[in-house]
Amino acid sequence: MPQPTIELRDPYRAAFLAWLIPGLGHFYQGRTGKGWLYALCILGLYFVGFFLGEGKVVYWRWVSPLSNPEKFCIYYPGQFFVGLPALPALLQGTLHYFAPDMNAPFWGFMAEPPQNILNGMHPRLGKLVEIGTIYTTVAGLLNILAIYDAFEGPAYLDSEEPAAEEPAEAIAGAGREGVKAGGPA
Amino acid sequence: MTIAPANVYWLILPLVVSISLVYAASRHESWPRIWMHSLRLCLWILGVLIGSTALLLLINTQV
Repeated sequence: MPQPTIELRDPYRAAFLAWLIPGLGHFYQGRTGKGWLYALCILGLYFVGFFLGEGKVVYWRWVSPLSNPEKFCIYYPGQFFVGLPALPALLQGTLHYFAPDMNAPFWGFMAEPPQNILNGMHPRLGKLVEIGTIYTTVAGLLNILAIYDAFEGPAYLDSEEPAAEEPAEAIAGAGREGVKAGGPA
Repeated sequence: MTIAPANVYWLILPLVVSISLVYAASRHESWPRIWMHSLRLCLWILGVLIGSTALLLLINTQV
């Protein structure tokens, strides 16, 4: 029986688009159902978290994690994988690094909030600050799965569900064999 | 915006549902399998969370 295939088009472009906007890589591949699922789940989580943290839980500052771990924004590397929605923070952090005396552009949108504002958020919002941070970070981490799915295809194709008695080695590469990557666009 | 402390726990649900759906979608291409896998995973995660919370509460009342 011939293996079913999934047309991944250009997987590198699909992966880049999937990073840029969650779900976009799948729309590009014609996998619209999955595109909507990823977009709704990942962007939904991200924006709810962003809203819960009053837009002050996603920011970046250029410091070394080794020499200054206290100041290092440990959550942003996760949030970064949401793509475009998290990029203004990187832009603001970079502008601040090169021009610390300059006022943050775009009314300070996603720039690092002053310490007194950050300190004031916790008594006022309580756990919502942490939940907002977790939501936005998990959204980015989930998009890594979506990016990998756009690049490589799913682990199992429709007819390749691993049987209980099959050894693990036999099914390890099953998803990849059936996926036709890099076909004509 | 504030949420009553007890209601904060409801925010676990969208997180668990999203994680389940995205993980299941990254494993399968067929929708029935995606829904089934995500439902199973969702129940597993919630079960582990509720079970471990109950265990910790039980230990907490004994010490």
